[in-house]
This record gives sequence, C-alpha cells and structure tokens, in this order.
Amino acid sequence: MTAATAPVRHRTPRAASAVPLNAARLLRVELRRNAMPWILPLIAALFWFDSYRPSTGAAPLYGLRTFWNMGQGGTIIDFGPFVAGVAAWMGSRDGRRGLADLVTATARPRWAAQLATWAATAIWAVAAYLVFVGILFAIYARQGVGGTPPWWWVAAGATAVTAFSAAGFAVGAYWPSRFAAPVATFGGFLAMMLSSQTGFRHNTGWALILPTNSNGNFDSQDSGIFFPWLPDLPIARIIFLAGIAVAALGLTGLPARAGGQWLRRAAAVLTLAGVALAGTAVGLASTARLSAHGMVIPALHDAANDAPITYTPACGHAAGVPVCLNPAYRRWLPDMTAALTPVLAEVVGLPGTPARAGQVAAAYTSSDGGPPQAITLGGHPTALRVSLGMLDMPGPCGFCDGPVATKQFVDQIRLAFAHAFVGAGNGGGSPVQQAVQAALLRGAGIPFAAQPKLVATAKNVPGPAPGPAAGPVYAAARRLATLPAVAQHAWLAVHLAALRAGRLTLKELP
Amino acid sequence: MTTAGLHRPAPGNVPAPAAGTRRDRAAAGWRLARLYLVSRRVPMALALLAGLGALLWAALHWHWNIAGGAAARQVIPLTIETGAAAVIAVTTYGPFGEPERAAGRWLPWLRLGAAVALTTVAFGALAAGAAAGAMPGGTLLLLRNLGGMVGIGLLSAAVLGGAFGWTGPMAYLLITEGALAHRSVTPWVWPTRPPHDRGGAICACLVIAAGLVLITVHGPRESGRESGPAS
Repeated sequence: MTAATAPVRHRTPRAASAVPLNAARLLRVELRRNAMPWILPLIAALFWFDSYRPSTGAAPLYGLRTFWNMGQGGTIIDFGPFVAGVAAWMGSRDGRRGLADLVTATARPRWAAQLATWAATAIWAVAAYLVFVGILFAIYARQGVGGTPPWWWVAAGATAVTAFSAAGFAVGAYWPSRFAAPVATFGGFLAMMLSSQTGFRHNTGWALILPTNSNGNFDSQDSGIFFPWLPDLPIARIIFLAGIAVAALGLTGLPARAGGQWLRRAAAVLTLAGVALAGTAVGLASTARLSAHGMVIPALHDAANDAPITYTPACGHAAGVPVCLNPAYRRWLPDMTAALTPVLAEVVGLPGTPARAGQVAAAYTSSDGGPPQAITLGGHPTALRVSLGMLDMPGPCGFCDGPVATKQFVDQIRLAFAHAFVGAGNGGGSPVQQAVQAALLRGAGIPFAAQPKLVATAKNVPGPAPGPAAGPVYAAARRLATLPAVAQHAWLAVHLAALRAGRLTLKELP
Repeated sequence: MTTAGLHRPAPGNVPAPAAGTRRDRAAAGWRLARLYLVSRRVPMALALLAGLGALLWAALHWHWNIAGGAAARQVIPLTIETGAAAVIAVTTYGPFGEPERAAGRWLPWLRLGAAVALTTVAFGALAAGAAAGAMPGGTLLLLRNLGGMVGIGLLSAAVLGGAFGWTGPMAYLLITEGALAHRSVTPWVWPTRPPHDRGGAICACLVIAAGLVLITVHGPRESGRESGPAS
C-alpha cells in the first residue's frame, strides 16, 4: 500500500470532541503561566491611590464619587496601560525566547495558540478590573453613598481593559522585543492623555466616544438618583472598544506563520470587521444630542430609560411647611429644613407662599435666559422646587477648594429662596427685587455686609463682583429692614404681585 | 584527584597575563563595551529615545496641552519623560545571567556607564525636542524630572528585574498625575514642585543616586524562572 492508495481517515467523534478540551487545557496552562497576576498588586495599589482615595473627598452620591474614576476614565487609566504592557510581554514571549519556529511547527495553528495566550491575559485583567470595581462599590455601599452605581460605565471600562490587552498583545506579537512592554504601556498612557486632552474640550461630536470624556454624560450628580444612567453613550463606547480589540486580534492572525490560508483570510475579515465596528461607533457618537438626562443616541436609545426612578421621599418640616427630599439626600434633610425655616417664617401667609417644598432633579440642559435656578416656585398650590443637584452639599467636596461648611450651604439655600420669592428669575433681578431679597436675607440672619460676597459666590444667581454693601439698592434694603416685621409683611402682602412683575421702583419701597 | 587535593598556587607561580600594547587593551575594552551595549539592546534604546525627543517636539509644537492650569500642561511632557526612563530601565536586563556575573569583572562599571550615558542621551534628546516651544518649567525641570524618573526605573529594575523595570516609572507617573490633580506638594513627588525647589531636587537626586548605586553594585534582579535568550 502506498500513500496514494491509502484510505482517507476521517476524524473520529472522539477526536472532534477533543478539540475544545485541548483548547480548554491550553487556556488553563496559559492562565497558570501568565504574567498578569504579578502586576496586579501594583495595579491594586495604584487603583487605591488614584481611583478610590480621591473619590472619598466627594459628597456621598454616586454621580460625584464616580465622576473621576468612571466618568473621566480614572479606572481605565489605572488599568489599561499596565494591562497593555503585560499583554505585550505575553505576546512577545515566543519571539523573545527564540521559540517562534518551534511553536509554528506544532499541530495547532499558531494564531489559535496566540489567541489562547491573549485570552488568558484578558481573563486575568478583566476579572481583576471587575473585582477591584466591585470592592470599590461595596465600600461605597458600606459608606451609604446615595443613588445607583453606573453599571454601564463599568461594562465600558471592562471592554476598555480588553481592548488594551488586545492592542498590547498585537504590539508584542509583531515586535518580540524587551521594549515591547514599555512601549505598549507608554502608548497606552499617551493615548489616555491625548484622550483627556481632546475629551475635556469637546462636548459634542465624535470626541464623545473617548473613554475619558465626561461632558454631557456624567456631569449631573442626579444621574442614578432621579433618573437612570443613560446607557446610550456607554454602549457606543463598548462597540468602539470591542472593535479595537477585534481589529488588534485580527492583525495577529495576518502573518504567514499564523496559520493556513483560510485562517489568515478569517483574520483579515476579523480585522476589517473590527475597524468597521469602531467606525460605526464613532458615527453613532457623532449623532448624540444632549437631553435632560444625558446624551441620547437616537439609534441606540430605549425610551424605557427615560422613566424616572420611583422612590419614597424623606420628609421634614420648615416653619410648618413640609420639606421632602430624595432618600439619597436624606442625610442633608436637617440642614435643608434649618436653612428654609427662617426665610419661610418671614413670608408665611403671603400670597404665593409655598405650601410644600420638594426636591427635583438637576437636568443636564439649562433653561434659556440664564443659568437654571436651584430653587423655583410654581404650581397650584404653590410649591417650592429645590434642585439640590446644582449645589455643593455640606461636607467633603471633591471639586471645591475644601469641604463645604453647613453655614455656606444654608446661606446659599436662603439666597436661592429669596431670589425665587421676589421673582428675579434667571437674571440678577430688578433693583427693587434685589433690595427686597437683601432685606429678606437680613431677616433670615445674613447681615448686609456678608451679602455681596454670598451673591458673588452663588453658582446660579448672577450678580456683581463682591464689594461693600452700599449703593441705592442696599440703602433701600436697609430702609425696609428697619420696619417692624408686621409692617414688612403687610407691605409685601400688598405689593408682592407688582414686585414679582418688576413694576416697582426703589422709591416705592417704604 | 579531587578538589580536596587542590591547593592555591603560590603567588610567584601564577602565569603573568598576556602582555598587550595599550592599543590592544583599548581595542579589547571597546569590544567589551560594544558587546555589552549590544546585549542590552542599547542601539534600539537610542532609537526609541530619539523618537521620544521627536514626540516631545511635536507635543510642544502643536500644543498637545490638557485643558487646565500649569499642572495640566506638564502632563504630556511628563509622560514622555517617563517613557524615556522606562526605556533606560529596560536596558539593564541582561540575557546571560550567572555566567556573565561570574566572569564579568567590569560588569558593574559597564552597568554604571551605560545607565549614565543613556540618561545623558535621553536628556539631550528631550532637551532638543523641548526647543520646539515653551517647555513647562524649562530645561532645569526636565533634568530634575527625568533624572528622578530614571532613578525610579533603575530601582525597580533592581527589585523587579530589568525586563519589568518599566513598571516603576509608569506607576510613578500615575502617582504624579494624581498629585498634580489634587495639588499635593510633597517633595517626593518632585514633578509637582517648581523648577528651583530645593526639596524636590534633593529627593530626585537621592533617588537617582540610589538607583545608580544599586544597579552598579547589585545589578538588576534576575528571576530563576526566566530562562533562555532574551531580546
């Protein structure tokens, strides 16, 4: 019998079933021999230092605690470049050791073996990322952080780690050098820095796809409290990052030594599919528009995500008026009632005095005609709508010069109330409205001398630069403030409608 | 015969080394240095350092600044300096292990010379790149930051091994970035300090001195598990 006449042997069922078994065995070997676990203690230390530690300086709300580590990609910056470096080290392993020819001659296609090495690296990295983020959120939950975690951003972060591992692996596979790992890490860091550089400046268009860009999608602290985190942009980023990962892995299957012709064609198709996927995601991000709840991508948007989160409010009383907040803000309810009590007491019984006060969500989009107000009056019977998401809450504040004092918060609330009550709207108000506002604040315990600074530092009340409490407005306010409380109340009862309509002048003040 | 029967020869019985001219010794020294540098992939490192210099030039020329204050403007130059330190740290990796340690009398000096020479070249390349525009903090800041980063790279090579020496500077970059963002001013994170700050300069000098001493005397850590030729 010659080779030509020998019968063709078909693969036995047992041999066919052995393929996945062998792949699993290879993966297990690669998992055991992987370098990734050795770098994880370093990443854990950096994760604690760079992602967890600064976040504890922010108010205990998920939107604020995770602004840096999730919204601006802090966890990705901590993980990604190092994962890319170790993946490059693993990808360059056979080439560095001079084993490329030896392993190319084995029964299994080279590309399949490389994919097993990459898969083991990615499994270690993604598992570590999920564990670290899980611990982070568990600590937040233990600290009573309000709201719901941004799970879609976690998914985007895990996909980013996968993409970094694939890109780093491709660098190592193509360049089996000792410098592959540092170059891949450096490239990862540079990419993230340039992403920050571009992302911080652009709040529309293609730049929204960048994983460090928080503009319009992570900068409302009421996301996850009043309304769900919109998944549109994270989904686009997941598609983009998955596309990069697929393209990078496809690239490793293109060289002649990777496998047979069909396998290399499959790798080419995979590369093109990855590029197309990433390009599609960039196109989707370009169509994003800002809504009240964050970035909406029409092709990905699910209307179900617009439904508000239902909750049972936490309520207290201020001057007999019920004050209700979202339970995520429950810890600040005493501060809120203490802030409103004196100003509500001044105006109780007047027409348009609020019958209740309730918290509303801080929207992403601002209303026309000036900055949105933290406190507005409206409805029938009149209700006070308080948007605490627009203010710095008492306690730690990651985005301020230091912690916010309770007095600072209380004064801001009183100013916002007085501003809304006199009908000043989104502007600074007419001179007479400013004078009445000043007199109300004086009655609530804020001296005239402290008011210019308070108005100047208020985020949502336009006003002049801080200076002395002088001029015709403060002179009129002093006149009004010297009247007995009953007389003030009586004057306001008669003139409140005209005051709010802006029809009064300073001379008409008593 | 066993080793028990061997005795140390009397001083007078040791054969004198082959006498050579000064030119022969210089040629041998040059060959030794060249082989050492090639084994450490120094030519590739030089190419990478030149590339980093060009990258710094591009970053400054086209204003790849991160939005923010003076601290934010430092981030990209600092990243490039970190890349240079990582490259220098990786060159300490030796592929020959114990035989080279046993036979290489000049090895400590070669390690010291290579580290100092590469740091000088890196500084030159980055200073040339910085000529493109306003380098935040100027050349003095570049020298201090690069020197300190190289020191961290050499220290991590001594502790973790030459092949993983890059992890130290990269981790330090993240720490620096966090410190810049949160306005920390400890002198041990010297990139956050102004160029003429004495504390930052002292810390950076201490770190590079420690790195050079450790890499000269001890060399990079060699893993018993890592075998075979390395590229």
